[in-house]
Amino acid sequence: MSIIKPSSVCSLGAALLGSALGTILVGCGAGPTESADVSDSIAAFSQTGSAEQIVLAIGGEREEGYDPTLGWGRYGSPLFQSTLLKRNADLNIVNDLATDYTASEDGLTWTVTIRDDALFSDGEPLTAADVAYTFNQAAVSGGLTDVTVLAEAIALNDTTIELRLKQPQSTFVNRLITLGIVPEHAHGPDYARNPIGSGPYQLVQWDEGQQLIVEANPRYYGEAPGIQRLVFLFVEEDAGFAAAKAGQAQVVSVPQALAVQSIDGMTLYDVASVDNRGLMFPYVPDTGATTPDGDPIGNDVTADLAIRQAVNYAIDRQALVDGVLEGYGSPAYGPVSGLAWEETSANIEDAQPTKAQELLAAGGWADNDGDGVLEKEGLNAEFTILYAANDSTRQALALAAAEMLKPIGIQANVEGKSWDEIEPEMHSNVVVFGWGSHDQTEMYNLYHSQSAQGDYFNAGYYANQAIDDILDLAMGAPSEAEAIAFWRAAQWDGNQGFTARGDAAWAWLVNLDHTYFVSDCLDIGQPQVEPHGHGWPITANITEWEWTCS
Amino acid sequence: MQLRPILTFTAQKLLRLGLLLLAVAVFTFVLLSLSPIDPLQAYIGADMMQISPEQRALIAERWGLDQPMIVRFWDWLGQLLQGNWGTSMVFNQPVSEVIASRFRVSLQMLAIAWLLSGLFGLGLGILAGAFAGSWGDRAIRLYAYTLASSPTFWVALLLLITFSVSLQVTPICCAAPPGILAADVTFWQHLHHLLLPAITLSIIGIANIALHTRQKLIEVLQSDYILFARAQGESRWGVIRHHGLRNLILPALTLQFASLSELFGGSVLVEQVFAYPGLGEATVQAALRSDVPLLVGIVFFSALFVYTGNTLADLAYPIVDPRIRLGG
Repeated sequence: MSIIKPSSVCSLGAALLGSALGTILVGCGAGPTESADVSDSIAAFSQTGSAEQIVLAIGGEREEGYDPTLGWGRYGSPLFQSTLLKRNADLNIVNDLATDYTASEDGLTWTVTIRDDALFSDGEPLTAADVAYTFNQAAVSGGLTDVTVLAEAIALNDTTIELRLKQPQSTFVNRLITLGIVPEHAHGPDYARNPIGSGPYQLVQWDEGQQLIVEANPRYYGEAPGIQRLVFLFVEEDAGFAAAKAGQAQVVSVPQALAVQSIDGMTLYDVASVDNRGLMFPYVPDTGATTPDGDPIGNDVTADLAIRQAVNYAIDRQALVDGVLEGYGSPAYGPVSGLAWEETSANIEDAQPTKAQELLAAGGWADNDGDGVLEKEGLNAEFTILYAANDSTRQALALAAAEMLKPIGIQANVEGKSWDEIEPEMHSNVVVFGWGSHDQTEMYNLYHSQSAQGDYFNAGYYANQAIDDILDLAMGAPSEAEAIAFWRAAQWDGNQGFTARGDAAWAWLVNLDHTYFVSDCLDIGQPQVEPHGHGWPITANITEWEWTCS
Repeated sequence: MQLRPILTFTAQKLLRLGLLLLAVAVFTFVLLSLSPIDPLQAYIGADMMQISPEQRALIAERWGLDQPMIVRFWDWLGQLLQGNWGTSMVFNQPVSEVIASRFRVSLQMLAIAWLLSGLFGLGLGILAGAFAGSWGDRAIRLYAYTLASSPTFWVALLLLITFSVSLQVTPICCAAPPGILAADVTFWQHLHHLLLPAITLSIIGIANIALHTRQKLIEVLQSDYILFARAQGESRWGVIRHHGLRNLILPALTLQFASLSELFGGSVLVEQVFAYPGLGEATVQAALRSDVPLLVGIVFFSALFVYTGNTLADLAYPIVDPRIRLGG
């Protein structure tokens, strides 16, 4: 979720100015000719794409530098490094550096064998020692990749690594997928700005705050990338759009609002994602309990199953997609739409106000005083939906949802606030959240009762012992393949689950599509279902991109 | 004989500088400890759900965020006395390196803006003062008052829309054209990207200097010795050249050096609008993500910068006006 991502941080500098500038540029960009003018001036250089070089304006600058042990490469391509495993277009796990991997039956020991022909871009061979070093380093370096479950990594010989875990963790495979291997001999404090790896590209120049230029690594063991040189521009979305209009950028990520426009010579890619938005319900009644920070927990209205289910059934998700997202999105019924571990039988027929009313009536809610809002035992069916005030999509979703709840007698008051203000109130009010990851850890942290510690993890204090058990089984399974059955069951197993049919801990609303304009001359293959974060994830298969024009 | 006033002057200045820096550091730490932004949350950002409590603890430990602010302050002070400015959380780089590389980008912009505002401010001020009450004076005053009351970022946006969007004579962002290697960027491309932000910054300084210069010149022109000079047949420009300029230059110089602080502050906003990756932009990042070492470093640096400017002004006085003596 983009709470405090640098690119979306709002404040005097970034938001006030950024958005003011954005609005004006978009305003100017309304007519096609005018925006083309903007881009002429954006860069006084003539640049068209070719197999030699393309320009991408998809954001994704990492101010910290490009060190995987600090979290670089968590999604999209790590460019400079390569990983043991990777996910293909269908998100299935395939080998990259690894030739084979097995987990022991107790899930505590993972053994990985790697290819013996991989070289770092400085010519040194990549051995099991480098892999072990990378994992051990990542475990202690305190960056944005979580390898804390690792007890130690040991190189058994030049091509075999043993990863010993403190406890079984099926999601550990995601570290094998995302952690780029760094060279032990060249890794230090300066590494992040001078990355050396065995990946498809090597660094040419990084102008911080402006652009990143990389070119194909001639020592890459895989198939040579189709595009020789990549230039990543780190500009605002509007400026990127303008550059694309002028033919100066060949791949550009655009917000949905700009996706309805067209650019000559470019095709709109409307990439499905699990970048979801939903309403999180406080699950427990307000008993006066507080978080460790003293913030109130619980809400008597949303603690009622009938209310939560009725909200789920009453909302017309397709209308939200069409109305709020301009059609660039899909309905969401759970937190992992489109991923291999989604339980599709958990999906409900929504937009059914009548069914919602029946659920409410069965739950004991009735409008006795005739004011259009239901009551039960003196309690009005009323709650507040909080959303991050700087996010217009969340605002629109909250307002539209509240409008859909009115006819069934639920009064939802919508309030926009900053995250700093939302945090103390998020355990006792409904909040519009957005998540979405290829790592199942997220699902675990959203729904496991032990995760609720007064933070963003399970902010609604959802607690169901049966679901906890299933999630623990999933986490403890020795492999992702075996874990998937449990991940699915936690959503809905025919009797119980945390989705709408079961405990309805959330009312998931929509998944945003990520929209990109891509040059007609560029074949970007089949994009993955993208995680939260619009832009960089499209690079996941960047080595397969081909320039098709001569 | 000559040495003593200089030594006293230097000692006084250094003492004041030390106290100023200490106060600045304390205030920055106090303010940041009151900030609602949780640096840990800001660092983790979108990946919150994949970061376990153990990893959070590890991150907090890495950056010393698990310590109370007062402990962090003493640690920081101890490090600083050894010449270490700390490491920036946002950039994962020593603060001194971040400031050095960012300031290099900002410096040219600041220098151009500073020179332009000084020259134009003085020139316009003299014109307005010499012809006080004329329509030229009114036009210059209108211009100066308008600009003096306009927010920097607003002026920047207007200029950006006019010159970059409508007229397309200047680039919309960045310090260099995209896709070109640093070694291949020509001097003209460099200047091209620098010009509009620099002009924007200078415009704001002009108003201040022009108005003060005008006021001072009018004052001078109404004095008895000017009346006497005019009675002797000295022309208007002769009077200004021989009698006005020396009197004018003092307040202008003071303002010019004092404007370094405004210049520095203005650059934060201007760089944001023009997406110019200088020190101002780094300041915004540091503040938004509660990067204490970097923010304190930048505040420190800017205090030094402004203080140096004011000291230079002090040093320039005796050169301009021999009646003024150092340390006197």
